[in-house]
Amino acid sequence: MRPTPRLAIGSMLAVLTIFSFFLSGCKKPAERKEGEILIGFSSRDLSAEYTAKLSEAIVEYAKTKPGVKLVMVDAQSDVQKQFSQVENFVAQKVDAIILNPCELEASTPAVDYVKAAKIPLVLVNQVTKSAGDSYIGSNDFEAGRIAMEAIAKKLNGQGGVLMIHGIMGTSAQLQREAGAREVFAKYPGLKLIDQQTASWDRAKAMALTENWIQAHKGKFQAVFAHNDEMAMGALLALERAGIKKDVTVIGIDAIAQALTAVKEGRLDATVFQDAVGQGRGSVDAAILLARKQPCPKENLIPFQLVTLENLSSFLK
Amino acid sequence: MNAARPSLDRNFLNRFGILIALIALALVLSVTTDSFASASNLTNVARQVSINGILAVAVTFVLLTGGVDLSLGSVVALSGVVCALFAHPGEYPLVVPISMGLITGALCGLLNGVLVTWGGIAPFIVTLGMMTMARGLALIFSSGKPVADMTPSLTNLAGDLGPVPIPVLCFAFVALLAWFFLGRFRLGRHLYAVGGNEQAARAAGVSVTKVKLFAYGICGLLTGLAGVVLAARITTGQPNAGQAYELDAIAAVVIGGTSLSGGVGSIRGTILGVLLIGIINNGLDLQGVSSYYQAVIKGLIIVGAVWLDRRQSRS
Repeated sequence: MRPTPRLAIGSMLAVLTIFSFFLSGCKKPAERKEGEILIGFSSRDLSAEYTAKLSEAIVEYAKTKPGVKLVMVDAQSDVQKQFSQVENFVAQKVDAIILNPCELEASTPAVDYVKAAKIPLVLVNQVTKSAGDSYIGSNDFEAGRIAMEAIAKKLNGQGGVLMIHGIMGTSAQLQREAGAREVFAKYPGLKLIDQQTASWDRAKAMALTENWIQAHKGKFQAVFAHNDEMAMGALLALERAGIKKDVTVIGIDAIAQALTAVKEGRLDATVFQDAVGQGRGSVDAAILLARKQPCPKENLIPFQLVTLENLSSFLK
Repeated sequence: MNAARPSLDRNFLNRFGILIALIALALVLSVTTDSFASASNLTNVARQVSINGILAVAVTFVLLTGGVDLSLGSVVALSGVVCALFAHPGEYPLVVPISMGLITGALCGLLNGVLVTWGGIAPFIVTLGMMTMARGLALIFSSGKPVADMTPSLTNLAGDLGPVPIPVLCFAFVALLAWFFLGRFRLGRHLYAVGGNEQAARAAGVSVTKVKLFAYGICGLLTGLAGVVLAARITTGQPNAGQAYELDAIAAVVIGGTSLSGGVGSIRGTILGVLLIGIINNGLDLQGVSSYYQAVIKGLIIVGAVWLDRRQSRS
């Protein structure tokens, strides 16, 4: 009695496999027109709000360029998955690749792989150990410095600060921390009371801040979170504990919810990272490289501090 | 009655092992930090464990039947997103977003149950598939972005009712109901029977299919509840929320003495396991332990607690 269902499942799988081969085999190359530039874009994680904004800008901007076709895939923060996606782009012989790398170290092999295949490569928003042909992004060191500087100003250089890190080892976390540390070195009255990672995650940052409120209540006057998601988590915890008025909270990225929170006077400030500027810059660079035209090695889009005073220019 | 005595003692010791670990940990933290034993911190711990607590009670049902549910975290995200989509201010009465979240969870759970029973596929595989599918659906429904702009009447549900946080009340209610159900209802006892020996249960006239469908359905429903509570707490439906929540929940249940092969376990044990994990997380943050060490210490305590428990029950 065993073989029959197995045979049925086996043949079903076989049919499915053949069917999917048929689909993937006939669809993609046929769509590619003569003289059209095909760009492959691997996004780090579409479920992260900033990355989603950046990816949307890339897709939308590419649509406005005649003779350019852009294919986007989502790596879901998985280095290994992103590497396979890059391999697939190389196998499809795309004209250029825009890579929004998952990590500083671990995504380096993917970059090397593309370079070995001699396909033009644009890195966006995150660097790797090996350089691509062009990097479009913003200097995260600056973001950390700007945010911490704003805290120092608000506290008049005196007080306790808690720092919530992003995923340890990502270039954004390392550089935002380094930027903040420079400010600590400048103001001896500014003390780092405690620091911990919340992995860019709102729920984790909220639980962490709740625990910190228990451990350090009254000893800190500011929370610096490496991104807005975590700043929102810290903000919610402080509000629920009824001590937000005593604590300055600043994040980075200027995601929609953070801007709304600044507008409502809940979040003290965020640092605007220009997703649309980065997205457009990376598409422009990819097209230049695909056409074998000269392209700058680096295009840094500046950060700006967003507070209640200058908010209106950032709200769409 | 005499034959039942040793197993009663064993159960007692089973509970005792985790209780010792829990008390020891609480004592150490009370001495080494000045904030752990405060009323506000204990409320804080209770609030933080409530989501994992609901999930742990949920998965206890499935683990008792000898199954497993790996889709908890993704279903939490999916239910939270669905709930948030219906929770924009002024659109629907409060009951709609909550029920939509619960229904989403229950449907996922029932689908798991159907595939396990009528489909005859191993629970590990079925729920692994659901884990990926639910995550994908959460991303599709939310267009990959956090669903914000939730009505305050829903997000207030993560607040306090008097001195007690509402999520804690949810957890307590769920735990009490589950404890009562497993102990007093025939269907509850059938869960143990199916997990202990499926053939024997079937021979005794228990409808194994019905029991399993029920277990996965309840597990899904409660997971939906956890999703609604999480969305209320972080005031958004996050498609990427709940990563690896299933592991924390299953760890808590196993620490609480529930067997992964089914048939043995209790809600009481699950609650102790949930508290143990919650106190570890809270205590390590209070101590300012670096996150690298936190991960190692947490793993050691989990394995240590179970080892202590097994040793106790053998002696």
